[in-house]
Amino acid sequence: MSAVDTPASGQNRRVAKLPRWLKAVLGLLAILGPGLISANAGNDAGGIITYASAGAQFGYRTLFLMVLITVALVVVQEMCSRLGAYTGQGLGALIREQFPLRSGAAAMVLLFVANAGLTVSEFAGVGASMELFGVSRYIAVPLALIGIWAVTVLGTYSRAERVFLVMGLVFLAYPIAAFLGHPHAGAVLSNLLWPHFLHSKAFLLLAVALIGTTITPYMQFYLTSAVVDKGVTPKTYKAERIDTVNGAILGDVVSIFIIIATAAAIGGTGPLNNIGQAAAALEPVAGAAASHLFAFGLLGASLLAATVVPLSTSYAISETAGVERSLSRKLREAPFFYGIFTVQLVVGAAIALLPGNAVELVIHAQVLNGFITPILLTYILILANRRSVLGDAANGPVFRAVATVCVAVVGCLSAFVLVQTVAGWL
Amino acid sequence: MGFNRVTWSPGHERNPVESSRFRELARLRRQRETRARESTAAHALAGSLMSLAALLGSEVSDPDGRSVGRLRDVVVHWTTRGVYPRVKAIVLNSGKQDFVIGARWLEAAPPATVRLRSSRMYAGSVERHPADVVLAHDVLDRQLVDAGGVQIVRPADLYLARVRDGIELVGIEVGTRALLRRIGPKRLRTRLHPDRVIDWGSITAFVPAWDDGDPHRGRRSDLAGRAGAGLALDRTAGEVKRLKPSDIQAALGELQAKQGGDSA
Repeated sequence: MSAVDTPASGQNRRVAKLPRWLKAVLGLLAILGPGLISANAGNDAGGIITYASAGAQFGYRTLFLMVLITVALVVVQEMCSRLGAYTGQGLGALIREQFPLRSGAAAMVLLFVANAGLTVSEFAGVGASMELFGVSRYIAVPLALIGIWAVTVLGTYSRAERVFLVMGLVFLAYPIAAFLGHPHAGAVLSNLLWPHFLHSKAFLLLAVALIGTTITPYMQFYLTSAVVDKGVTPKTYKAERIDTVNGAILGDVVSIFIIIATAAAIGGTGPLNNIGQAAAALEPVAGAAASHLFAFGLLGASLLAATVVPLSTSYAISETAGVERSLSRKLREAPFFYGIFTVQLVVGAAIALLPGNAVELVIHAQVLNGFITPILLTYILILANRRSVLGDAANGPVFRAVATVCVAVVGCLSAFVLVQTVAGWL
Repeated sequence: MGFNRVTWSPGHERNPVESSRFRELARLRRQRETRARESTAAHALAGSLMSLAALLGSEVSDPDGRSVGRLRDVVVHWTTRGVYPRVKAIVLNSGKQDFVIGARWLEAAPPATVRLRSSRMYAGSVERHPADVVLAHDVLDRQLVDAGGVQIVRPADLYLARVRDGIELVGIEVGTRALLRRIGPKRLRTRLHPDRVIDWGSITAFVPAWDDGDPHRGRRSDLAGRAGAGLALDRTAGEVKRLKPSDIQAALGELQAKQGGDSA
């Protein structure tokens, strides 16, 4: 008996002796909310490759853009979590109820396309990371597809999610790498505080990709549903708002460190040709193991997002249709829900297996998201402006102006680049 | 060895293979008959129902045929007594503003015509009364949940029918066809094909987006129009899945037969 008692009581004592700062950190981790999770979900395969590409191609020049994007992300995420807390409904349901059926259907088609693009980039991430371990993507991607489908439909998803999340924590090595890589502090600061943009097609396209990967439409849908799932009500919304704002800022700080670390390591060498180059940024931390460490983290992040993105698509579309949606249902009880999930997975994996450069494919998927983002943001903005939806919690005049400017700027940039791209084809 | 003799005795007409094939044929024949019956029922229903989706946005004209505005919504009176709520008024948009016209000034005909009865009538301002349910806003596209709280589907269309001297809300269409009809071109919207229609009589109450833990909701309507409010049925999701056009036709036929008896 005493042998059993001792370790437990010893543990208790150890907990009591924890230093104050560690307790604070643990306390912070304990209130990890939907806001933080969803913003960090932005650092998926698409995100990491796009940020690394930005650092490699343009050095620190995109940093000011990231600051602007962070402001927009905070504004958008706050509206989404407010919509979730005050209406008790996800964005899919709100769009069906508040917009004419045609506009609602158009929004869902756009969401499906944007998320299918993301799923492609996640599977490309799986393939590329396994190739760093020496496994062909023609083996890795089909295996990942079967694995993800089985884990999700057979109901051990929550356990797998934790494993993927922990694997993705590897990317917290980026801030350390950014400091150890001796970036030019003056250049970093001046780029953070003042724009150093280039008027070139490549820069504009990358800017849209950065917007697409940071203010991803799927994150907004995911966040709103997560807030509803958590049972946040107007009374408890204040705490949720802190979580959402913190999450958006913290997620983007990690993104900014990815750009700084990559810029310090291989900045100005031109666009990324393969994913192995991106791993060079982790060399200050991991040395020769950088490539494997990067591949490990990328695999975790890709697998997580390759599951979450199709899931959030089928949640949103099932919600719009009003049919039962839940992972706790069996395949036969929720055929529509699992059907959309399966279609998106298969389409994503198939396109990711097409021959071509994985990095290019991933960036194109983010550009596609960048084009669709402002359209879906407009729906969110209209919903959050409506007093008939949010009552007194609807956007006030100042917030409304700020949010409108954010959406308009993102929209103008996307439209400009889209017109330029189409004109380039003609 | 001899040869195979074909013998016949009662109770041993067919070998097992043949009888299963026969059963399959019989099943197919029954299926075809059911389909034909349901198609007839749907056709008959289409002739007597008005579709809310087709009515919305359609032009309302006065007795001389001049357009007075576009129909924006239909108001029914929520009731705990009758099975079907009666249409009380319509909300008309004249381009600049909305106003309400009482049902007594209106003439309606299937599938989607609303005309004013006289060129002089009383039009009120838009104001919500406690028992009012505004169909396009409060019911169309809202979440339907079954008796066990399972989310079934969202209404794709609402059907109105002439009953006695008024127009009543009789059913909720939940089929995919109705959804496609609304997404497709406007002029095809009047081509009704009732498919899976839930009898309005099985609606019990408006329910909030999240469960408020009130088991005795009764036929409550105070949540109508709130963001996230849905509708609860007294049936299960499985029953809704098996709905056929003939079900609502039977319910309507019964009602009309009873009326005939009343007036005689």
